[in-house]
Amino acid sequence: MHMGDKPDLDLISNLPQSIIESILTYLPIGDAVRTSCLSRKWRYKWTTLTHLVFDEKCVAQTGDQVAVEKSLVNFITRALFLHQGPIHKFQVCTSILQSCPDIDQWILFISRNGIKEVVLELGEDGEWFRVPWCLFHCERLTRLDLFRCELDPPPCFKGFPCLKSLNLHQVLVAPEAIESLISSCPLLETLSLSYFDSLALNICAPNLKHLCLEGEFKDISLENTPLLVDLSVALYMTDENGENPEHSSNCKFIKFLGGIPRLERLVGHIYFTKYLSIGKDPGVLPITYNHLKIIELYQVSFEDMKEILVVLRLITNSPNLKELQLSGSSLTSMESPDLDFWEKEGPSDCTFHKLKVVKMTDISGLPHEMEFIKFLLRKSPVLEVMSIMPCVFVTMEARLIIVTELLSFTRASPKAGIVFIQD
Amino acid sequence: MSEGDMAVIKPKMLKSYIWLQTTDGSIQQVEQEVAMFCPLICREVIQKGMGSSKTHAISLPERVNTAMLSLILDYCRFHQVLGRSNKECKSFDEKFIRMDTQRLCELTSAADSLQLKPLVDLTSRALARIIEGKTPEEIREIFHLPDDLTEEEKLEPLKNVTDDPRIRLLNRLYARKRKELKEREKLKNTENGEQNDDRSVDDLLSFINGEIGDSKEIKSSKNKKKNRRRKDQQKNTCLYEANGSHEEKSLNFVCPSDDVNKFRPSPSLTLTLQDLEHDSLNDQLELDDGDIDDEIDPALKAQIDREVEDFARRLNSDWPQRMQEILSLGQERRRAQFSVNGNDSLRRYA
Repeated sequence: MHMGDKPDLDLISNLPQSIIESILTYLPIGDAVRTSCLSRKWRYKWTTLTHLVFDEKCVAQTGDQVAVEKSLVNFITRALFLHQGPIHKFQVCTSILQSCPDIDQWILFISRNGIKEVVLELGEDGEWFRVPWCLFHCERLTRLDLFRCELDPPPCFKGFPCLKSLNLHQVLVAPEAIESLISSCPLLETLSLSYFDSLALNICAPNLKHLCLEGEFKDISLENTPLLVDLSVALYMTDENGENPEHSSNCKFIKFLGGIPRLERLVGHIYFTKYLSIGKDPGVLPITYNHLKIIELYQVSFEDMKEILVVLRLITNSPNLKELQLSGSSLTSMESPDLDFWEKEGPSDCTFHKLKVVKMTDISGLPHEMEFIKFLLRKSPVLEVMSIMPCVFVTMEARLIIVTELLSFTRASPKAGIVFIQD
Repeated sequence: MSEGDMAVIKPKMLKSYIWLQTTDGSIQQVEQEVAMFCPLICREVIQKGMGSSKTHAISLPERVNTAMLSLILDYCRFHQVLGRSNKECKSFDEKFIRMDTQRLCELTSAADSLQLKPLVDLTSRALARIIEGKTPEEIREIFHLPDDLTEEEKLEPLKNVTDDPRIRLLNRLYARKRKELKEREKLKNTENGEQNDDRSVDDLLSFINGEIGDSKEIKSSKNKKKNRRRKDQQKNTCLYEANGSHEEKSLNFVCPSDDVNKFRPSPSLTLTLQDLEHDSLNDQLELDDGDIDDEIDPALKAQIDREVEDFARRLNSDWPQRMQEILSLGQERRRAQFSVNGNDSLRRYA
C-alpha cells in the first residue's frame, strides 16, 4: 500500500472533469465502472457519465445463456442505480436480452433524467419488448432507434418536439400510428423505417433530409419533404401492385419523387424502378433534380420498357449527375420488345455534361442493356470510367459477344475507358 | 514598385510570427498560421491584439510548459495545412500519440487549457486505450494513483461486473470479515460496558484502598477477566510483592491457591504468597497507580509483565478457550480502530 504517493505524482486524477468524462466515455462501460475501485478520487467519477452504452460484453460470457442474461440485467440495473445526474444517451444492443420488466424500469428511470438518445435492440426470440408510455413523455428526445419492439403510443401523445432521428426496424406498430408519429415530430431530419406489412405511407416532414425505407409498401407519398437530400429505398412489391399495374391511375413516380428538388443521392433496390413505372406516364417532368449527383438503381429489368423509361426519365432530369450505378435483373425470358425505341424516338435529346462514372453490374447482354450502354457512351462527353460486370450465369461465349459489341460503340469522351470486370 | 506589388511581396517575404510565452519563462515566436490553430491563441490575437512583439507575448496558461508547447505546435503545424486526406491525418495522429503516459497526461491537460479540442479528443482516446482491459492494480501502477480506499470501502463487495467466481468468493470473504469487524466492535462495546458495570462496591473499595493496582500495561481484558474472577473467587486471593529496589511494586492476582505454587519467581523479584481477605490489605503496598510506570525500570516492567502474564494464564481454568479468544483478539486488535493498550506481552502472543 503506497501511502506515500504525493498528490502531484498522480498523473491523471486532477485533469478537468470534462476530460475524465470523455476518457471514460471512450471506455467500454464495464471498464468505466471498474475505475471506481482505483482510488478514493475515482470512486464516483464514472457515475456522472452521460452516455451509457450497454451490450453483452459488459458481463462474463459463460456458456449459460440464462445466467448471462440475468447478470447483464443486474449490471445495468445496478449501474443505473449508482448513477448520478443527467443521462443523455442510453443504448442497449444485445441479442441475448429478451423482454423483461426490468427494461421498463430502466426506461422509466432514464425518462426522469433528461434522456435524449435511446437505442434499444433486443433479442429475436420470445416476446418483443413493448415500449412503455413513459418513453413518450420524454420531451427532450432527439434520437430514437428501436429494433424488434412493439410501439404503441398513448392516445394523448402529441409527438416528440425535439426528435431529429427516428429509426424503426422490425417494429410492431399500427400503420396510422406511424404516420402520425412522423408528422408530429416537426424537427425530424432522419427517418429510417423497415416495415413489412403492406403499408400506405404518407410522409409529412418538412425538415426531413435523410430517408431510408425498406419493406412492403403499397403506396408511398412524400407529401411534404422539400429538404430531402438522401433517399434510399428497398421496395418489396405487394401482390396488389404486382398483379394490377395498370389499374393504378396516379403516377407513382410523381407521388414519390415529385416533391424533392434538393435530392443529392438516390438509391433504389429490388422493385424500386418497377414501382415507379406504375401509373400513367407523367410526360415531361415538372421537376428537375439539379443537385442529384449519385444515382444507384439495382435490379432494373431491362426487358420492361416502362422501367427503362423510368431510368431515362431520372437521368435526363438530373443535369449534374456525376455517378450512375445500375444493376440488371436477369429474368428467364429473353424477349426484348420495343427495340426500335432507341432508333425511332430515342430519348429526348440530352447530354450528360457531368457524368464521369458509370458502373453496370449483373449484365446479361440483353439488347436493351447494350443499347443503353451505347446511348450513354454517345452522350457523355466527360465520361472517365464505364465499368461492366456480367451476371454470373453469362457463358463465356456470351461474354465474348458482349465485349465485341462494347468495342464497337463510339465514345463521346476521349477519356472514357471501358472496363470489363470478370469475377 | 507599385503599391500592388508591395502588397504581393510583403506576405511572401515577411511571414507573420506570433510571440508566445510559457510560465516556465521561455519566449518564442511561432508562425502565425500554426499558432492561430489554437483557439485560445487565436482569441488573444484577435480580441486583444497580443502576441505581435516580444514584449507583448501571449502568456500561455500554466499547464502549458515548453515541452508541451513544442508538441502542440507540431500537431498544429501538421493539421493546419488544408487538403490533407483522412488517411494522412490518421497516420500522423497515430505516430504523434506514441509517448509515455506521463507526457500523454500532461499533453491532454495542456491541449485542454489551449482549448484545442481535436488534440484533447485524440489524447483522451489514447488514455482510454491505455486504461481499457487492465486490472485496478495495473492502472494504479501506470498512473501512480494512491491506493487509498479504506478497509471499509474496500470491504464493500466488489461490483462483480463479470460474475467472476473469484470475485464472488472474495465478496463472501469480505462479508465474513465485515461480520467479524462488527462483532469485534460489539465485543469492544460490551467489554467497555462490563468494565463500567462489572465491579462490585467491594472490589472498588479494595482497589481504592491500595491493592497495588495492576500496572498500566496490563490493563487488558485479561485484567477485566481477573476482576471478574475476583468476584468469583473471593476466598482465594494472592498477593505478590516485588522486592528488591522497588518495594512499592506489588501485583494483585486472583488465583486459586493451588495454582500459585506453579509459579516460579524470577530472581529479581521476591514474590510472597499471602492469603488475604480480599478487603484487607497491607499498607505497605499502597501505591498510586499512576506512579508505577514512572518509577519502574522499563526492562523490569517488561519482565514483570511477562510474569504477570504467565501467571494469569495459568489461573484461568477455561484456558484453552481463553487462549483462542486472546489470539483472535490480538490479531484483530492490531487492525482495530480502538487503541491497543501498551501490553507488549499481549502482542507477542498474537
